Amino acid sequence: MAKIGKTLLKLDNVTMKFGGVTALNGVNLEVKEGEILALIGPNGAGKTTVFNVITGVYKQTSGIVDFDGTSLGSQKRYQVTGLGVARTFQNIRLWGDMTALENVITATDVHKKSGLVGALFGLPRARREEVENRARAMEILRFIGIDEYSDRLAKNLPYGVQRRLEIARALGTSPKLVLLDEPAAGFNPAEKVELAATIKKVRDAGYTVLLIEHDMSLIMGISDRVVVLDFGTKIADDIPSVVQNDPRVIEAYLGVPADAS
Amino acid sequence: MKIRNYWNLRDFGASTWENASRPVRVAIALISIVLVGLLPFMGGSILATPIASFDAVLVYPVGMFVLMSLGLNIVVGKSGMLDLGYVAFFAIGAYTMAILGTTTGLNTWEIMPIGIAFAMTAGVLLGIPTLRLRGDYLAIVTLGFGEIVRLVVLNSSWSKGPNGIANIPMPPNLGPLKFELENQKVFFWVVMAMIMLTIWMIRRLTVRRPGRAWEAIRQDEDAAELMGVPTLKYKIWSFTLGAAVGGAAGVLYASKNLYIAPEMFTLNVSILILACVVFGGIGNIWGVVVGATILGYLPDRIRFISDARLLVFGLVLVIVMNFRPDGLLPRKKREKAIVKKGANA
Ligand SMILES: Nc1ncnc2c1ncn2[C@@H]1O[C@H](COP(=O)(O)OP(=O)(O)OP(=O)(O)O)[C@@H](O)[C@H]1O
Ligand SMILES: [Mg+2]
Repeated sequence: MAKIGKTLLKLDNVTMKFGGVTALNGVNLEVKEGEILALIGPNGAGKTTVFNVITGVYKQTSGIVDFDGTSLGSQKRYQVTGLGVARTFQNIRLWGDMTALENVITATDVHKKSGLVGALFGLPRARREEVENRARAMEILRFIGIDEYSDRLAKNLPYGVQRRLEIARALGTSPKLVLLDEPAAGFNPAEKVELAATIKKVRDAGYTVLLIEHDMSLIMGISDRVVVLDFGTKIADDIPSVVQNDPRVIEAYLGVPADAS
Repeated sequence: MKIRNYWNLRDFGASTWENASRPVRVAIALISIVLVGLLPFMGGSILATPIASFDAVLVYPVGMFVLMSLGLNIVVGKSGMLDLGYVAFFAIGAYTMAILGTTTGLNTWEIMPIGIAFAMTAGVLLGIPTLRLRGDYLAIVTLGFGEIVRLVVLNSSWSKGPNGIANIPMPPNLGPLKFELENQKVFFWVVMAMIMLTIWMIRRLTVRRPGRAWEAIRQDEDAAELMGVPTLKYKIWSFTLGAAVGGAAGVLYASKNLYIAPEMFTLNVSILILACVVFGGIGNIWGVVVGATILGYLPDRIRFISDARLLVFGLVLVIVMNFRPDGLLPRKKREKAIVKKGANA
């Protein structure tokens, strides 16, 4: 197991209201370097909203989001990515008309310096960065195990590969923290096991992972800590075995008739 | 059973080009350039246009349409922003030429960079506040911008209002190449050079970072922003480069026409150029070139049927768009990287 370090991301009393709906209600959350933190909760609990607030899609109504010493509140979305936070989407949002490799290369551009002028005149740095990007993107596809699909258009890829490509694209931005929003949605048990191994591998490669997932067995197997949200409020935050037996958590899940797996 | 295979010129062209070695490519390019360059000498052939002289038609509308369509295609085709006010940049270039050409001693080539700079500045100034808007909203704002520019020149004294500006100087001769009204071959070659420069620029940009950023923005702007693409910056670049091409076209147009007036810069021009882009194949450079060539040339070729020609023009548009909704040569959907081949690591 990787060594767990200092606090990387900290949500301090974050509240997010949409009109009359309070999606997050005074949430405190810490993600420590090197851990896999699972964020769980019934449908509509506010999990995706946590991601949206961190990545700047929504501006929180109140509270502070601090990443690695920088307050994210005033950052633009692409700047948040530049600081080292990358995400995947619950509903796959790849660039369908680009190949798998291009999807990842586009993400690798975030830390590159060359821009329009370099591209236009083929300046040395622009050329070098093109080569670097391509190599790096290919390496990531290999790391995630989907390099054989590199030249296929994203929209034509099998569903499971698309989900993995979302992770690869996020890693393309060289993040410190990866936010995975239900990466195993729609997977069968065998695929879930495989994905769990991939997520572990991602963490062991030095990334910190914040993972939204419904499947308890997947979570229990890989996460260092589990945070439970219910109706926008944090109701538990502990190691998996404790959370699993927490009566409030059991109630929150049983209270929802729809399957929560 | 299909009677005839879907004629796929685009993929045929693309694969021929990809499989060709460097010398073959250079040869193809040079031969094409020479052939196109010789077009103005074809005035006596079947291509001839009955009323306007053929070489004049090649300059305007054909050449100008191709140039402007390529510029608009950067905005509409590459980054997916609907701009209905493209004529504004054309007008800015043309008026820069007209005013500076008639009041200062500067010649066309000296005014060219100034006109381009003005158009680009207008692009940035318009882009910063408006490019946060998307889709229909952006279309309406740009449409408004096009109209504002026209109304300003219509109602200002420095632009001589509705009277327009006359006696705009022609470009100075380029060595032995003389610019003449009766013989517009040299104008055509200049337009051709500008078109080639634009194509070179677009091709350079699309295989590298800006092209990827535009492509990502076009397909899913939010995902692009969240993956670290500074979308506003690249949208402004796209808009501004489109403006630069429009401005350059405007400068040359004024210097060729010798007279400009506000009624030449109506919404119709924006729509017509957009039609060229869509007709040819939005997002595909060669499609846009073919589309603009046909739509520029056709009305003059069939001028002998006088009023019915607009009807025929409209019919051609409707029929082609019906059978080929993505245009004559659609954007490539082949599985190939938007990265430079040579960048293979
Ligand atoms: N843009 C929005 N406008 C209004 N309400 C929203 C918006 N986004 C989220 N909500 C509401 O906030 C609450 C939390 O939504 P969120 O998507 O975060 O849930 P979740 O935990 O990710 O659920 P799921 O497991 O279904 O993905 C829901 O009640 C949702 O309707
Ligand atoms: Mg969700």
